[in-house]
Amino acid sequence: MRDLLSPILAATAPASAMTWLSDTIRDQETSFQKRPFYYAFSGVSRHFDKRGSVEVTDEQSQALDGQVPGFSVKGWDQFRLARVILLLTLGKQDKATFLETIAALLNTADLREQAAIYSAFPLLPHQADLVEAAVDGLRSNIIDIFDSLALQNPFPATHFSKEEWNQMVLKAIFISRPIYKIFGIESRSNADLADGVSYLAHERWAAGRKLTPEAWRNCAAHVSDGIVADLEHLLSEGDPIDHEAAALVIVRDGSDRVRHLQERIEAGLDAISGGSLTWERLGEKLEFPATLNGSPAQA
Amino acid sequence: MRFFDSHVHMVSRTTDDYQRMAAAGVTAIVEPSFWQGQPRTEVGTFKDYFNSLIGFERFRASQFGIKHYCTIGLNPKEANNEKLAEAVMELLPLYICKEGVVGIGEIGFDDQTKAEEKYLRWQAQLALEADLPIQIHTPHRDKKAGTIRTMDVLEDLGVDPGKVIIDHNNEETVKAVLDRGYWAAFTIYPHTKLGNQRMVEVMMEYGAERIVVDSAADWGISDPLAVPKTAALMKDRGITLEQIEQVTYFNPLAAYGQSGQVSEEDWAGSAGIDPTALFEGNTLLRGGMDVETAMSQYLIE
Repeated sequence: MRDLLSPILAATAPASAMTWLSDTIRDQETSFQKRPFYYAFSGVSRHFDKRGSVEVTDEQSQALDGQVPGFSVKGWDQFRLARVILLLTLGKQDKATFLETIAALLNTADLREQAAIYSAFPLLPHQADLVEAAVDGLRSNIIDIFDSLALQNPFPATHFSKEEWNQMVLKAIFISRPIYKIFGIESRSNADLADGVSYLAHERWAAGRKLTPEAWRNCAAHVSDGIVADLEHLLSEGDPIDHEAAALVIVRDGSDRVRHLQERIEAGLDAISGGSLTWERLGEKLEFPATLNGSPAQA
Repeated sequence: MRFFDSHVHMVSRTTDDYQRMAAAGVTAIVEPSFWQGQPRTEVGTFKDYFNSLIGFERFRASQFGIKHYCTIGLNPKEANNEKLAEAVMELLPLYICKEGVVGIGEIGFDDQTKAEEKYLRWQAQLALEADLPIQIHTPHRDKKAGTIRTMDVLEDLGVDPGKVIIDHNNEETVKAVLDRGYWAAFTIYPHTKLGNQRMVEVMMEYGAERIVVDSAADWGISDPLAVPKTAALMKDRGITLEQIEQVTYFNPLAAYGQSGQVSEEDWAGSAGIDPTALFEGNTLLRGGMDVETAMSQYLIE
């Protein structure tokens, strides 16, 4: 994995920082020592460009996805990628050292460090021992930390129980995160989550508020009578984008339960069969709140 | 105008304060590690406090368009709990190299005990090793002697005075501090420290070079708008705009900029308060505050 990640970082990072990183990794792989590792992990901020982003080609993205499906570095900054590369070195230590050091780093991490640690989870060993930390991380009210686990990260889909998964997805909906960036959003959908989405929708509607149309993606494979009623509500009360979401659910379901709604989604049917309406396209059209420091939401 | 308040304890302040500070032009702040009124009894509460300074408080400030930096250190009051102090010293190396940590502070003397001197020396060594500025707290009692003793200790260790900001100065201490090459910070704090009329008089006498104005607003009766209010008073009393900008913005930026962890670029293009950068249903921003009313009373006594 380092062979794939280092060239991506080197494409935009200062050469001196890359030299520092490879020297540090060489020293730590020869003889791992906790304190110098802590210093290096924090010290990334003293060598790389604090506003420097990472540029990744389509081939590089595909290669990453080929090794760890769902893993992506799109939208990352240099600090995060450099720290993830350092954590791969930590992953080569014995299990006790590895777990102790991860816990110590998380216990004292600043915001960007926490995001880097969680982003690295799908690349690290002993993942079953990291699940509790991931669930805890998702309790954060800080958007960048929540996003580092929930979006573009295959760890939750691989390791979370149904309850943990549902909790994460409902919170993502609640705080308006881009649902289409959650890896495994369809493969992990379940009837309990669909009910949870419906309940949240009713709460919002009762308060005269809206629910992100992407939320309904979780219901597409679990259309109950209650969900049919929700689709009717979306088609009569919703915005055009709610109609699109309803169309996607109705087409996916395709059963007699929703037959009577077909005539109300004709434009959506054409768009879906023509390929211009998908959950990804729908998600891309929505605007998401800016994250920490006023930077745009992670791409 | 933009202001850099290089000493303010935001963990003790409300979102109303953040709103008013942002509206009054406070763009960047430094939050020094200090005691929190209630003495700590466990090292873990220090760790969580440091985590707040590099974590949630930084995030909270960003929601109001304010860049938040901090200094990390063991304060002199709690240095007297030696068993705890040793454990805190073990913790400090984990934090001092982090992004946005602009110095070791606030450290120095409180009661001027032996233990306080021990931890002042130890932490000054740490600053030398990490090549970081030092933020000095000067004692409320016997201030002049404590200030001179602090400078003696630092010079004994070979610390460069140009990398040290000595805070809570008054008319009695300023001359020695400036003469010996240190940055002299003044805390505009109602009742117990320095009112801003006295600050104006200090500037009339000493000018603006190496002088810094801050609020040290905390959990006591204090004023998070002390820096912009003092700038308003200075303007009213005929101090030049250039000098006002120096003591309320450029000097603290230069002093803490020596850490390599803060520069004007960090807030270039900052859009100020961004009401969309909030969680739906969990907003930290609340309705408007009339900052003009607050700023119209700019005299702090």
